[in-house]
Amino acid sequence: MATLNEKKTCSERMADFRRFVWNPETKLFLGRSLINWVWISLYYVAFYVVMSGVFALSIYCLMRTINPYEPDYQDQLKSPGVTIRPDVYGSRGLQIYYNVSDNKTWEGLVTTLHTFLTAYTPAAQHLNINCTNNTYFIQETFDGPNKTKLSCKFTSDMLQNCSGITDPTFGYPEGKPCFIIKMNRIIKFYPGRGIAPRVNCTYVGEESRPLEVDYYPVNGTFNLHYFPYYGKKAQPSYSNPLVAVKFLNITKNVELKIVCKIIGAGITFDNVYDPYEGKVEFKLKIED
Amino acid sequence: MKVGCHASSSIHAPRPRQFGDKMSAVCCCAHCDFLSLGMQDDHRLSTSELEKKYGTSIDKGLSSARAAEILARDGPNALTPPKATPEIVKFLKQMIGGFSILLWIGAAFSWISFGIQLAQGVDSAFDNVSARVTTRGGFQPREWHKANFGSISVFQQALVLRDAEKKELPADQLVVGDIVEIKGGDRIPADIRLIFTQGCKVDNSSLTGESEPQSRSCDFTHENPLETRNIAFYSTTCVEGTATGIVINTGDRTIIGRIASLASGVGNEKTPIAIEIEHFVYLVAGVAISIGVLFFIISVSMRYKILDSIIFLIGIIVANVPEGLLATVTVSLSLTAKRMAKKNCLVKNLEAVETLGSTSIICSDKTGTLTQNRMTVAHLWFDNQIYSADTSEDQTTQSFDQSSPSWAALSKIVTLCNRAEFRPGQENLPIMKRVVVGDASETALLKFSEVILGDVMNIRAQNKKVAEIPFNSTNKFQLSIHETDDPHDKRFLLVMKGAPERILERCSTIMINGKEEPLDSEKAEAFQTAYMELGGMGERVLGFCHLYLPENEFPETFQFDTDSMNFPTSNLCFVGLLSMIDPPRSTVPDAVSKCRSAGIKVIMVTGDHPITAKAIAKSVGIISATSETVEDIAKRLNIPVEQVNRREATAAVVNGMELKEMSAEQLDEILREHAEIVFARTSPQQKLIIVEGCQRQGAVVAVTGDGVNDSPALKKADIGIAMGIAGSDAAKNAADMVLLDDNFASIVTGVEEGRLIFDNLKKTIAYTLTKNIAELCPFLIYIIASIPMPIGTITILFIDLGTDIIPSVALAYEKAESDIMNRRPRNKRRDRLVNEQLAVYSYLQIGIMQSVGAFVTYFTVYAEQGFLPSTLLGVRVDWESNAINDFEDSYGQQWTKYQRTYLQWTGYTAFFVSITIQQVADLIIRKTRRNSIFRQGLFRNKVIWVGIFSQIGIALILTYGLGHVTALNFTPLRFQYWFVAVPFAILIWVYDEIRKLLIRRYPGSWWDKNMYY
Repeated sequence: MATLNEKKTCSERMADFRRFVWNPETKLFLGRSLINWVWISLYYVAFYVVMSGVFALSIYCLMRTINPYEPDYQDQLKSPGVTIRPDVYGSRGLQIYYNVSDNKTWEGLVTTLHTFLTAYTPAAQHLNINCTNNTYFIQETFDGPNKTKLSCKFTSDMLQNCSGITDPTFGYPEGKPCFIIKMNRIIKFYPGRGIAPRVNCTYVGEESRPLEVDYYPVNGTFNLHYFPYYGKKAQPSYSNPLVAVKFLNITKNVELKIVCKIIGAGITFDNVYDPYEGKVEFKLKIED
Repeated sequence: MKVGCHASSSIHAPRPRQFGDKMSAVCCCAHCDFLSLGMQDDHRLSTSELEKKYGTSIDKGLSSARAAEILARDGPNALTPPKATPEIVKFLKQMIGGFSILLWIGAAFSWISFGIQLAQGVDSAFDNVSARVTTRGGFQPREWHKANFGSISVFQQALVLRDAEKKELPADQLVVGDIVEIKGGDRIPADIRLIFTQGCKVDNSSLTGESEPQSRSCDFTHENPLETRNIAFYSTTCVEGTATGIVINTGDRTIIGRIASLASGVGNEKTPIAIEIEHFVYLVAGVAISIGVLFFIISVSMRYKILDSIIFLIGIIVANVPEGLLATVTVSLSLTAKRMAKKNCLVKNLEAVETLGSTSIICSDKTGTLTQNRMTVAHLWFDNQIYSADTSEDQTTQSFDQSSPSWAALSKIVTLCNRAEFRPGQENLPIMKRVVVGDASETALLKFSEVILGDVMNIRAQNKKVAEIPFNSTNKFQLSIHETDDPHDKRFLLVMKGAPERILERCSTIMINGKEEPLDSEKAEAFQTAYMELGGMGERVLGFCHLYLPENEFPETFQFDTDSMNFPTSNLCFVGLLSMIDPPRSTVPDAVSKCRSAGIKVIMVTGDHPITAKAIAKSVGIISATSETVEDIAKRLNIPVEQVNRREATAAVVNGMELKEMSAEQLDEILREHAEIVFARTSPQQKLIIVEGCQRQGAVVAVTGDGVNDSPALKKADIGIAMGIAGSDAAKNAADMVLLDDNFASIVTGVEEGRLIFDNLKKTIAYTLTKNIAELCPFLIYIIASIPMPIGTITILFIDLGTDIIPSVALAYEKAESDIMNRRPRNKRRDRLVNEQLAVYSYLQIGIMQSVGAFVTYFTVYAEQGFLPSTLLGVRVDWESNAINDFEDSYGQQWTKYQRTYLQWTGYTAFFVSITIQQVADLIIRKTRRNSIFRQGLFRNKVIWVGIFSQIGIALILTYGLGHVTALNFTPLRFQYWFVAVPFAILIWVYDEIRKLLIRRYPGSWWDKNMYY
């Protein structure tokens, strides 16, 4: 089989390319005459306008089928995620390190908590109603203003010692820090099957003495009247219930691994892939 | 010498290729070599001079000691096997050759970006890039066919005179100066100058391809050592007789050795398909780099970090690499090669499959390729009339009028005056297939009479032979005397055949309708006319006559003496003429006309006589019935040849001698001006010159050849075709393709397959390129709109190397759309495999439609899970952040990172499924480029359906079977999402049908020019 390739020098190639870009003899620009370019451009403009139209129509049809109150599927949201405040993420997950004697190391953490709790001031919660029932707050009808549903009030004072009101430093300088545990919202999720789910924090692994924790509100429960959640459109002023934990016997200068699980029927914390499903794990190290 | 100089003159002609020049320089030197170096002038020297030159003695031979000395100096008498490329080099070449380089660059880029990310500690959407590389590395197809042909040197013995003793030595121990004896059936063990011969004939077919045995003598008959009679060449065979000669060349210095090394010196270079693939690589690389750079600029101006932008750039380039294509092209080519092998074309080099399709000139041998390679009786003349005989391959009867008593007489002569015999034990074979001992003409006559009369051997036994004079070149006749089969008739019958004019000289009467009539001038004139007519058809004519010897002069007991010729050999009775020809194969005329309608020029190159060549050319249609050569015109107008307007002649018959005198320009002119060309009396070396001439016209040239001497031409040709039956090993080695049945018609089948594969590769590439956009768009939108990544790299790999492979191979089975043999061969400069229209239509139209369809699915999945399209825009950074585990969706629900990632994988799966569904539509529309799918038939190509089902099957397995393997990023998708893209698949189909309809409706229109690929 013999050769077919023409070995061209670089300058020949460049000349060929220039000729391709603009051929003065045939008046072709990039292999097409100018009028040809206009035609082809017009065609593509039309084509893309039509395709955009098709796309827009499809999305419009999609939106028509969408229920504005709740999503069609909650395939991934079988069990709520759990987050903690203050949340400082290091390279190996949540790492909360501070030095009691150095304000700068914990002031940021305290500010985070204060900021977080601004959504729970009585002023912020004024749209919500006071609930006293310890059962699910089921609303079949839209009882709220503007075709909404009612939400129960959760104010920061319910967190008592960890509310930031009595102790604006949340116990950080004393080495007895407060953490706030929050459960993710899932529409029409009934946690605990009638029994209020509660937070339980323990050390991960073997520790010499058990972790002493104060839970606020009492027992660290999420009251059932905050559930179910009916979605942003139905409950625009809804705010997640919180549980604060105050660790009382933290050994200083040691990195401790703590996990806070939410105990309740329907809440799983054994998904190996998702470290934040039904639980939150973090490392705590308090220096002095 | 002339040949060499001629070739070198061609260097002055402007030629596009550097290597070509070098190559022809090598060739012409080699031609000179044959004459000047090595061969010296041994054929001119007398015996004693030779003895002196080689220090040998004709009576005693070399001494063993001297022989050992020379052997140590020259090495053994064997051909050095061609330098085999080490496997590792082949492997490396394979790894870095052509298209693969694109993959490797892609791989390198992937690693670079992986490295960057590693250094950054970023856990971004690109974490799978490197997986793409690794997978790709193992996917280098190494499926090249290597047909294994045995080498020339086979263990062989030679009878040598050494120390005045005859010894049997292994042929590789022969040295220059040895005296060797050969006899009928031997292979010539080295190049030998003959010093004594007895009826020696050699078969030079392995060297020249001419299968007619050539006689050898001690006489110096020609200046050219290749043509002189007193040299026998290594590797040829002695057919009959005996000879003694002095070894003058051994091993690689023999003629065949030099040709072999010459052929292996011509490197294999790029095939048309390799060039097309390269062009395609440039195109894809160009697109990839332009889009990459464009988006690099966009991402930088969108305030992405430079490092991120670089990763985007690399990602885009990598996403553009069609990983599966190399495998697909290789598999398609080998499938076609397999199919061609079934049709007797064995393809040695896969890429040659397509080369054959782009062939525009075929230089074909005559003997064996166009013809049946056996003499056959074509015409008879008796009773003043010419009868035609059936010359087809499988004749069982002859239909001409056999009632005349003259025919009875003629048939008796044909039967009796013939020394050829069937080899015993072939009674069950058809007559035409039986092996005969005897020369070509006698074989033809024997088979002819066997077909008509039946058991010839029995007839011969009944007419016992009492005396015989075999044919020799001085008498030019053959004579035998027989008893008759009539027991009452005691006369002897003398039968004679030979050159017609010699036979006629010996006759005084002629048989007309069974009656002997005096041979007057009128009848002699009739004979002359018939003889000229048959001769003019290029046929070999034999005359037949007989004489019943009078009983009184030659009684039963008469002793015939063939030396003194004590019987009459004149005043015989002339009976008739028989003419023979090597008839064309019955399939050839059809094949030639197919070539013609396919725009392929068929040039006959033969060593035969011009008249025979022209006759065969006419009968197979290489010279069509209406066209005339310059000579024909001159004859018709009755003017000298020089006055004829050369342009009027469409056909040309060029003699090898004329070719020698021609300059390259003159040859070019002939090749350009004449549509129908026959080169007669050409030497195999001239074949090379013809091939070069054709290539100067810009043609893709296919050359057939069988002799060793053809191998340089086979190498030089764009596609060399060796004969499987008649071909020598060297020719097969040099060729790209081997015709297993030596049949020209098979070449045409090959051309058809080659054209089909070119069309089908176009379809395959169009199919493969389309989804590249659907794989690339998500990435671009991801950068611009900062949406969650719609499709992952692993998912892309599963499309490229998973679902898409079988369908794209299935397109190789697609039938031709129209009669592909009715269009001109593709112009290798203009008709590209991947042209602008193909790329633009695939990328910018169908690809975009696919992307839209896939995005609709993507948005549907996200919306129904809680993320409405409006929410998705601009979320990229938060979405990918590990630190956000309460990411809010459109409904106020909160998602952890893993929940989001899982949703993202669901998005990948949905995108994947949509592309797969739309690729089904893409596959169906790619079945045709012009015709409606419904005309082509949806179900004619069953393999397409295998492709579709495999595609969907693989997608189902990946989604539901492996949906729980998190590393693969597939999730068990809700079933309804499979159907979101279906309307878009239908849209693609409808759109393409409209495109095809408009192309058919308005040929040559703007639409046709821009939308037909």
